[in-house]
Amino acid sequence: MSENIYISRKQELPLKGENTSVFLQVIISIAVFIFAITLSGVLSIDSMINNWNRSILGSLTVQIIPTDETDKDKAKAAALAYQEKAVEFLQSVNGVLKVTPLSDEQLNELLSPWLGDEVNINDLPAPRIIDVKISPDADIDFTQLAQDLAVASPQASLDNHKLWLNKLIAFADGLNLIASTILLLVAAITSGAIFYTTQMSLGLHHNIIEILHIVGAKDAYVAQQYAKRMAFLGFMGGVIGLLFAIPSIFFIGNLAVDIEGGIISEAGLSIFDWCIIFALPLFSMLIAMLTAYYTVKKTLKKML
Amino acid sequence: MSDQNNNIIEMNNVGIRYDQGPEILSDIKLSLAQGSFHFLTGQSGAGKTSLLSLMYLAQKPSRGQISVFNHNINFTNRDQLASLRRHIGVVFQDFRLIEHLSAFDNVALPLRVSGMDEREIRKRVTELLTWVELDAHMSDKTSTLSGGEKQRVAIARAVINRPDLLLADEPTGNVDNIIAGKLMKLFVELNKLGTTVVIATHSDKIINDFPYPRLHLQNRGLHIYYPADTSVLRGINV
Ligand SMILES: Nc1ncnc2c1ncn2[C@@H]1O[C@H](COP(=O)(O)OP(=O)(O)OP(=O)(O)O)[C@@H](O)[C@H]1O
Ligand SMILES: [Mg+2]
Repeated sequence: MSENIYISRKQELPLKGENTSVFLQVIISIAVFIFAITLSGVLSIDSMINNWNRSILGSLTVQIIPTDETDKDKAKAAALAYQEKAVEFLQSVNGVLKVTPLSDEQLNELLSPWLGDEVNINDLPAPRIIDVKISPDADIDFTQLAQDLAVASPQASLDNHKLWLNKLIAFADGLNLIASTILLLVAAITSGAIFYTTQMSLGLHHNIIEILHIVGAKDAYVAQQYAKRMAFLGFMGGVIGLLFAIPSIFFIGNLAVDIEGGIISEAGLSIFDWCIIFALPLFSMLIAMLTAYYTVKKTLKKML
Repeated sequence: MSDQNNNIIEMNNVGIRYDQGPEILSDIKLSLAQGSFHFLTGQSGAGKTSLLSLMYLAQKPSRGQISVFNHNINFTNRDQLASLRRHIGVVFQDFRLIEHLSAFDNVALPLRVSGMDEREIRKRVTELLTWVELDAHMSDKTSTLSGGEKQRVAIARAVINRPDLLLADEPTGNVDNIIAGKLMKLFVELNKLGTTVVIATHSDKIINDFPYPRLHLQNRGLHIYYPADTSVLRGINV
């Protein structure tokens, strides 16, 4: 007769029916939503800075601005003299690997797309250009360098573009710092919410936990039931948050492209970045699980 | 007295108080030898449940020393306490069943907590619940059971593990005389198999029917009375 009795195994702690479940799931969804969008911002800024750094780190361009001299031979001689001084100075700078003034042919080649093949560089008041290779890990203060260069060779000018990019990078770094703070705060608030709801639930189920202890359950037995439940809520909340975040990320991305194609187009997310974003539900699952586990362990320690 | 002996429980100078209140038990000295069987008596409020709760490690004494299975519980960590509790079966005055679980799941609890194989659990629990005549209520939620049925579930949960120490607080309070007699026989059988037993009871009938020594709580102290028939005094060691 006992053969056909169906005996279901239920969780000792009725965590499934708890009305804090919905609350936690909403909190976690919102957290993962904010997290995903902020993270995509951070990753975009990172790839943007990386692109800029790559273009800025390897080399510098110095221009020798032509003088007002009308005689073209004298003008060229003056330009070459200034170029000589600039080269001399640049070679003395720490972190500079190689200084190469472009030859007339190279300058012609650079300018021909704009001026046509027929034009001779020597007939024009065109700037001369010095290509400077710098060591990628050199710690060069470009503003200072530009000033020193102007003293050494008054007609020489460090390419403005690079200076400007440098300021932009500093700005992007600042943005990144703010975004990272937001990420930390969101993670902290979420685990705080999990901490307090778990503590509340432990209080609510005080009687059951006492019974579990009496029959010889270790704290880990209770902690595992909470960890399992919170892992589920963390994962589901994460998936919901992500479902809302992904269209938003595309929307913001399109807006950015519309505003300024040039700079932002370098800010796309790589496949690796997308992998990180798609892994967020696993991340929220892990945070929820560990927070619950340690909350239970810590709280039960106060009971005999 | 040596550290290692065959006493299941040792108490010395033990006092219990709740919060800042007066001591409800003072200077308790007690040794329970392995395989002994004692009744625990005393007026309502005398401290029977409190004394038992020290034995099943649910609270620490306000003062004094307690050893359970030769472990001084002042120096025993939480996980070790849990391991010790697996050798203790407890029947509570108020049953303390998990109401939303079935009778089966409640009785299975001590086995599951210690990680026993589910098939073995099913076999043992079914057998015991049949023995206490609850086979028809195995999958009923315990919240739907009668007082006497709950009590039998509570007793089944306490003995399912074949504990070395069985503590029962008024285990026959809610059942008729026939079932009470049957349950007492269960405790006696377990005792014969080596389990040390302490039963708190108000029932003169039970105390008279079974000639075991009596731990009596009165005026915050513990007094021990032996039955006239001294042949049952095995295990007494005071
Ligand atoms: N958790 C508690 N907090 C405060 N006081 C308590 C607590 N538990 C018991 N007491 C007090 O300790 C005294 C002894 O209580 P206890 O439950 O041990 O008595 P008892 O002998 O089991 O009584 P009964 O026969 O009615 O079950 C009582 O005065 C009671 O009020
Ligand atoms: Mg009592």
